[in-house]
Amino acid sequence: MGAEVSSCLQRYSKQEPLLLVRTRTRTRTRAELSCAVRLSWTFSYFLLLLLLLLKTMEFLLPPKPKPKPDIHALLVAGIPRNPDLTNTNTLRYMSTLMPFTMTSLMNLWDFKRDPGMKKAGSRRSNNGGLWVDKHKPKSLEELIVHKKKVEEIKLWLKERLKPSKEEEVRTLALVVRGPAGVGKSATIQIISSHLGARLCEWNTPTPTLWQEHIHNSTSGKEYTSKLDEFEIFVETIRKYPSLSFSCTGGPISPCVLLIDDVPLTNERTALGRLCNSLHVLARSTVMPTVIIITDYSKAESADDKSHYFDVLQSSLESAGACKVTFNPLTINSIKKTLTRICKEEQCHVTSEQIDKIAKASGGDVRHAITTLQFLSLRLGHTISSSLIDPTTSCSNEDSEVNLLDDGFCLPFGRDETISLFHALGKFLHNKRDASVTTFENNVFTLRERFTRLPLMMAAPEMVLDQAHGQARVVTDFLHENVLEFISNDAIDDAWSVASYLSDADNLLGIALPWSMTRKYEAESIVQSVAASVAVRGVLFGNSHPAVSRWHSIRKPQLWLIEHSALRNKVGTLLLVRRLTLENLMANVCVMATEYKPTYKWIERNVKECLDGEKTEENECRMEELDEMEWRSCGKSDEIEDW
Amino acid sequence: MLWVDKYRPKTLDKMMVHEDIALNLKKLVTEQDCPHLLFYGPTGSGKKTLIMAVLRQMFGASAEKVKVENKVWKVNAGSRTIDLELTTLSSNNHVEINPSDAGFQDRYVVQEIIKEMAKNRPVDARGKKGYKVLVLNEVDKLSREAQHSLRRTMEKYSASCRLILCCNSSSKVTEAVRSRCLNIRINSPTEEQIVRVLEFIGKKEGLQLPPGFATRIAVQSNRSLRRAILSFETCQVQQYPFTSNQAIPPMDWEQYITEIASDIMQEQSAKRLFLVRGKFYELLINCIPPVIILKRLLSELLKKLDAELKHEVCHWAAYYEHRMCLGQKAIFHIEAFVAKFMSIYKAFLIATFG
Repeated sequence: MGAEVSSCLQRYSKQEPLLLVRTRTRTRTRAELSCAVRLSWTFSYFLLLLLLLLKTMEFLLPPKPKPKPDIHALLVAGIPRNPDLTNTNTLRYMSTLMPFTMTSLMNLWDFKRDPGMKKAGSRRSNNGGLWVDKHKPKSLEELIVHKKKVEEIKLWLKERLKPSKEEEVRTLALVVRGPAGVGKSATIQIISSHLGARLCEWNTPTPTLWQEHIHNSTSGKEYTSKLDEFEIFVETIRKYPSLSFSCTGGPISPCVLLIDDVPLTNERTALGRLCNSLHVLARSTVMPTVIIITDYSKAESADDKSHYFDVLQSSLESAGACKVTFNPLTINSIKKTLTRICKEEQCHVTSEQIDKIAKASGGDVRHAITTLQFLSLRLGHTISSSLIDPTTSCSNEDSEVNLLDDGFCLPFGRDETISLFHALGKFLHNKRDASVTTFENNVFTLRERFTRLPLMMAAPEMVLDQAHGQARVVTDFLHENVLEFISNDAIDDAWSVASYLSDADNLLGIALPWSMTRKYEAESIVQSVAASVAVRGVLFGNSHPAVSRWHSIRKPQLWLIEHSALRNKVGTLLLVRRLTLENLMANVCVMATEYKPTYKWIERNVKECLDGEKTEENECRMEELDEMEWRSCGKSDEIEDW
Repeated sequence: MLWVDKYRPKTLDKMMVHEDIALNLKKLVTEQDCPHLLFYGPTGSGKKTLIMAVLRQMFGASAEKVKVENKVWKVNAGSRTIDLELTTLSSNNHVEINPSDAGFQDRYVVQEIIKEMAKNRPVDARGKKGYKVLVLNEVDKLSREAQHSLRRTMEKYSASCRLILCCNSSSKVTEAVRSRCLNIRINSPTEEQIVRVLEFIGKKEGLQLPPGFATRIAVQSNRSLRRAILSFETCQVQQYPFTSNQAIPPMDWEQYITEIASDIMQEQSAKRLFLVRGKFYELLINCIPPVIILKRLLSELLKKLDAELKHEVCHWAAYYEHRMCLGQKAIFHIEAFVAKFMSIYKAFLIATFG
């Protein structure tokens, strides 16, 4: 049964897109295939009619150059992972199911595609598929992953694949974690084939669409979530370990289980279940199991998704799994790969462009290769020149710097994100290009006190965009930290910075919720203007930056202050209500400024009478110390000077 | 109980300051129907005391039996309902609220409460329908929208509900609201009046007041009666019997601001600015309103300042006070003011002493 389920799972994932293409019904399992056959019979008669109609129309219309129907390419595009299997499967299923409508269907399919797709398909078949697949590393030497990591995984796998004679307790699970496109799966595949082990994958089943779900539920088929299926899978492996993968016949080669797509869960209980089943898997597996976790959006701060993966990882590690973390690939290794591919494909991409692609890819080799293919597809000299031509009005050198710095100007750039702290560091350190001494580029001649050296970064707004900086947060952070970056004597600078921050705060005040009727767009404009004012104000105002040294960027104290002020406010009101029995509404302002100090005096005096030696001075200090201590625990989040 | 509350006159007859106003109010309430009232004047001048006395005059001793409750108002605002929690102080005949506590949703509060009050009008013994009184504090802090909606509801429900509004400055109340009310300005009591009240309290408490002592308290209180009585009591707690040259302790936050001012005068640098910011935070934690901080700071700075600079410094203080009202976070603006002051003062020092 275990074998059946797992093989079904495997076939299942391969079949699905196929069935969708073929019959246009949403059949999913063998049980429904008979129904599908019936449907497809009626459908195919209809198609024959249609075909006749088309043939007659072809006589009337001028003949078009009809591209060769290319079901291989299309199917390969549908299922990028094991293409050989699917091709044969496709044909077999096609021929068994619908022997004579196949060609007509292919015609129809071809006919229905828009011309662009057709072209892409045929092109790809000519060139032999996606370069990402085509130039997949085939040997250990071709891998551009860091040697040490490869070696580590290799060693691990080798050790685990050796038949263990004595009953020692070893962990058979490995967590490979890293950002997208750094070659996690490729490394595992190559290493396992290098070691002569078969790789068994658990591929995620294709997700069920909502309409599909509706359709299924009316036809009486029950919906199983990805998580359920994963749990069943884990259960199967646990119960029937020897059956699962070794009964397929032939010589028994060692097996490595690869779990590439861990199901994504959204809520707490589901996450708990997932953690649990991963835990079970890591504990009970008898063959080496590699679990790949892809990090998304690590740069985006305050995202709970990265935390999500941390939870998964910790649950796996608690089960004794080993851990290997992949870092983004270096630019040089990506460049090397790109050059190699260029040579093999004989396309003419200049080394300069390769350089740019590599830089813009952010350590994602898959992205870089796809970009290269895209570029070589449409590569006329027009594009290549437009790449280099600056679209902005700044001089050539400037644009060069910009291009390299952020990758925004590239039409193929992967939008890189940076963390908020990185952006804040850029703003606060205020690095400027001291080599430029003349300002001949400026349209206006400025007075000397208004001129500043050019910034050594992209436009501040772009940096803000990249960091996903919200205006309020950015302004608060800048306000908290900017004073330490201003030279101690430059009080004029401090004032101009403070005045710009005050401007920004005023702008933010406009977007308060009592303008609820206002459109959201207007508010967001105000927000971005405010952020821009704050950032540029800090950059402009700080004309005498402090000597660059290690600074920690603090979280705004203001947030804590506001919070505790609110608490104190409530506290004051309660206190006053308890103490005065007067039928008056308490006015916070009056209470805080007049009543409370008096109470303090009176209470303090009473206390002093009780224990005479404590002086007020002392007490005052104590209170302050307490306050300070309490506040200092809010400090965190430090970054280094770079 | 503090003396401020203990010796608060309960009826209009017993008023020791603003006797004339009290007399007029008494006539107004007893002889004819009472219009909407708007009391305005500086803090510590006796607005609240007068209001309480007027209520007592209207409804008798039952006005003093109040209960405090946190009420949740369900407001229908178009498509959704808003839940607003607000502390109310109410007797059978009146309700007192601070509508500005509701923040930007204050307009709903005003409308809703008045409507609800209008629904259940009290009926007196003779079967005549009476009215309820709604006391609104800090009307000047109400948003424009709330004041507009107030204007409409005031007219609509005037038969069943009287409003008594209370605020510091009538200039922040819209013309429309002002013209629908009887405006009563409550001046700050003069120093002689304050001295008289202090002496009265002293006599009641059986204290010996050295000559000139009450006058000194009155002078330092800045003509706020509440302030004077509070510091009088503080003095008594601190040291009794009084001596004629006894120091009158300032409020702790005022002392703190004096400290800040001397910090600022001592050194003008980014580091000092940072230090000062921390001290402002301390004040803000203790709920001292930022406007008051800025005002006090300005007056402390002006004390030690060369006459030449006073004008400019005042200008900037006013500028940043205005921006503080427009903006969201007060510390930004206070700090900008301090930085500006430092910059002016430093330039001045360099120009004068080289």
